[in-house]
Amino acid sequence: MALTWRAVVLALVGLVPVLLAPVPGTVVVWAGVVVLACGVDVALAASPRRLALTRRVPASVRLGDRTRSELTIVNGAGRRLRAVVRDAWPPSVAADDDAPLRSGGALVAARAATTVRSARHRVDVRAGDGVRLVTPLHPTRRGDRTAGPVTVRSFGPLGLAARQVSLPVPGRLRVLPEFASRRHLPSRLARLREMDGRSAVQVRGEGTEFDSLREYVVGDDVRSIDWRATARRGDVVVRTWRPERDRRVLVVLDTGRTAATRVGDGPGGTGSPRLDASIEAALLLAALADRAGDRVQVVAFDRTLHARVAGASGPRLLPELADSLAGVEPRLVETDWPGLVGQVRSHVPQRALVVLLTALDPSAVETGLLTVVDQLAGTHQVVVAGVADAEVAQLRAGRDASTVYDAAAAARGDLERTAVAGVLRRYGAEVVEALPEQLAPALADTYLALKAAGRL
Amino acid sequence: MSAPAPTGANPPGTTPGATPGATPGSAPEAMTRSATTIAPDGAPTVVGDGTTARSRAARRWRRARWTVLVLAAVALVVGALAVSRPPTSSVPYAPDSTTPEGSRALAQVLERQGVTVEHVTTVAEAVRAAVPGTTLLVAPAPLMTDDQALSLAAVEADLLLLRPGGTLLRAASGGAADVGWSSGSRTVLAPGCELPAAQAAGPVEMSAGLLLEGSGATACYTRGESHGLVHLDDGGRTVTALWDPGVIRNDRMLDDGTAALALWLAGDDDRLVWLVQDPYDASTGDDVDASGDGVLPPWTGAVGLWALLCVVVAAVWRARRLGPLVAEDLPVVVPAAEATRGRGRLYRRARAHGHAAAALRAATADRAAGRLGVPRSADPTTLVDAVVRATGSDPTTVADLLYGPPPADDAALAALARRLDELESEVHRS
Repeated sequence: MALTWRAVVLALVGLVPVLLAPVPGTVVVWAGVVVLACGVDVALAASPRRLALTRRVPASVRLGDRTRSELTIVNGAGRRLRAVVRDAWPPSVAADDDAPLRSGGALVAARAATTVRSARHRVDVRAGDGVRLVTPLHPTRRGDRTAGPVTVRSFGPLGLAARQVSLPVPGRLRVLPEFASRRHLPSRLARLREMDGRSAVQVRGEGTEFDSLREYVVGDDVRSIDWRATARRGDVVVRTWRPERDRRVLVVLDTGRTAATRVGDGPGGTGSPRLDASIEAALLLAALADRAGDRVQVVAFDRTLHARVAGASGPRLLPELADSLAGVEPRLVETDWPGLVGQVRSHVPQRALVVLLTALDPSAVETGLLTVVDQLAGTHQVVVAGVADAEVAQLRAGRDASTVYDAAAAARGDLERTAVAGVLRRYGAEVVEALPEQLAPALADTYLALKAAGRL
Repeated sequence: MSAPAPTGANPPGTTPGATPGATPGSAPEAMTRSATTIAPDGAPTVVGDGTTARSRAARRWRRARWTVLVLAAVALVVGALAVSRPPTSSVPYAPDSTTPEGSRALAQVLERQGVTVEHVTTVAEAVRAAVPGTTLLVAPAPLMTDDQALSLAAVEADLLLLRPGGTLLRAASGGAADVGWSSGSRTVLAPGCELPAAQAAGPVEMSAGLLLEGSGATACYTRGESHGLVHLDDGGRTVTALWDPGVIRNDRMLDDGTAALALWLAGDDDRLVWLVQDPYDASTGDDVDASGDGVLPPWTGAVGLWALLCVVVAAVWRARRLGPLVAEDLPVVVPAAEATRGRGRLYRRARAHGHAAAALRAATADRAAGRLGVPRSADPTTLVDAVVRATGSDPTTVADLLYGPPPADDAALAALARRLDELESEVHRS
């Protein structure tokens, strides 16, 4: 039951009889007229509970892409349906073209909630007919989004009043990570190809696996001449090498409290969570390592295992990875570092490249990460990748009397992180720290460097 | 439910908007129950929300029953109190009082005789009700102000004053009568005048204390200089004053001629306005023109009620939301730079120039050392030498900049930060 502006107009028209017969009884009679008219109108409205509603949404969409929700209504009420239909979606999914959209897709949902109006459709369907309503969706946050109910407000023939029902029509949209770092993939793949098949001449230690023999050309390192083959063939032959293949790469995403903090320069410190940058880096590294012929596993862990992708390769890897990581959210708990060591050991018993995507927070490193690196570095090649904060970089530049203290604090933080990175390096780990947008390429470069040096 | 629209007879499938997967017209048969079917592409089709009119009513009742029950109980109690409240009072001289001091007996007899008795408690009401052709009975009111007395004296109705105050009596009689002092005791007095009421009543036991001040008034029940009743007819209306208010009391109705006297005096007109003034009444007859019906036009009430109706309808119109809000779990908002800002604020509040300068110097030294290939563990002299070699600056200046005394104030700290920047840029240029 809901009224429309026409009911208000009907009540306003009551001024005429009230002025003709100015006694309270006239108003009471007119109120009766309004109530009766609205009641008749509601009784004649098509019942929203007799509509057949079907909602069709794509199973998943990449963050930042646009998609649509299709709602099909078949009017089985036996009467003409005049209605307003609302296909309700959470604020971070509902399309709102007025709202500014940042390139990272990390529009703050709380801000969007004030401006988003879920799509409302005005429909007029004859009895037995159907209609298809399309609601544009524009997700601004990663994760699973469950649709709200479909609300139907069915007006009577007079348009005075309406029946209203909110019907729970299932609908779920999985918003995958954006993988904006895929633009770095072609250049890194080109570097990988350059490494492939290159003789050991140009860079000492370039790959360790024997690939093939070929004729000597001027410029090749004489040290790589295979004398035995040369003697057999009567021609000078050199050995060529290629980077190792079928190495194991384990990417560990720390989803503990440090992953929940916002990095970047959104208004009021409302950039995207640190975890999003970690996921970007993990996706790029996985894609690169998979092309390079390594076996990739990805694990998201804080105190329990939240996602694990293993055994997938080739074209199946990235979709599976995106699907698994879509629903991973940072949690406000301290990461269980000893448990993490157990996870790593159970998943990769042999030597592997273990990439820890976390934050280089000095206190967290000293209390937990250091022991992890200590225990793992014996068996594995460990890379610790941390997401730095652009806002801290801004603070570092403060030079007037009031901001110089912030600059000093940032400098002190830098020193502490540098010291921690030095300690980690002494324990045998590689350390990569970069701003959110630069972490993925930096980590990919580190991977390529390790691969070129044959340290996997 | 019948289908009023003839378009409902359209054959299924011929309409452009018809859905694949669900046959129009056939799916929604079961009407009120929820029916979910799965289309070939996996999208579920929903009809209804699993409720019937009966289950919705039951749910609403379950949700609202305590409110309804409590409200009903309150209404019942209030109603019972209203009904069980006695229609009588114990106010002396009031027409609804059954105590010995009350006057319900007189009022009831008058009503049985066809006189309309209107009981009022304020002067304003009395003045409004006392139109020509009615009698205004004023019960003893020792707290009446002079303004109120003058308002009452000025009405055009007949006046019956019981133990009036001096102001009221003098104003009402135009100075022909005044109050004296009470003789205290009651005695049986003879009428002693031509007034029909007194003649009909005969001797009545009462006290006397009214004085005549000149001619024009009739005095009855005289004892010495004081009279028990003074009557005045000034053409338009009559004014009757009684010294002894007890003649209208319930307990004295049966004495001698008391009842006859009271009935004659009070039942003179068809309407009797009975004023028993409330002790807190401060109104005067002048209020009648200042408020109420005088200023506002007569249709104000009806139009106000109509405006209320419109507001209610508009409120219902705007109040209904188109479906519930859709909730969403939002991630926490903790800026990563918060810890750094906090530390900077601590430095600032503590005015820790020394600590801040040390941090800035150490960071610059660390970066310069990295740039110049000086190991982190090198001592200050080595680093200063390296910097001097790279930039060609004065060794004392460099040493002072990197390892000098802490700055004294904010300005010095900011200046130090800028000079460190310059030094670092020189190192990087080299």
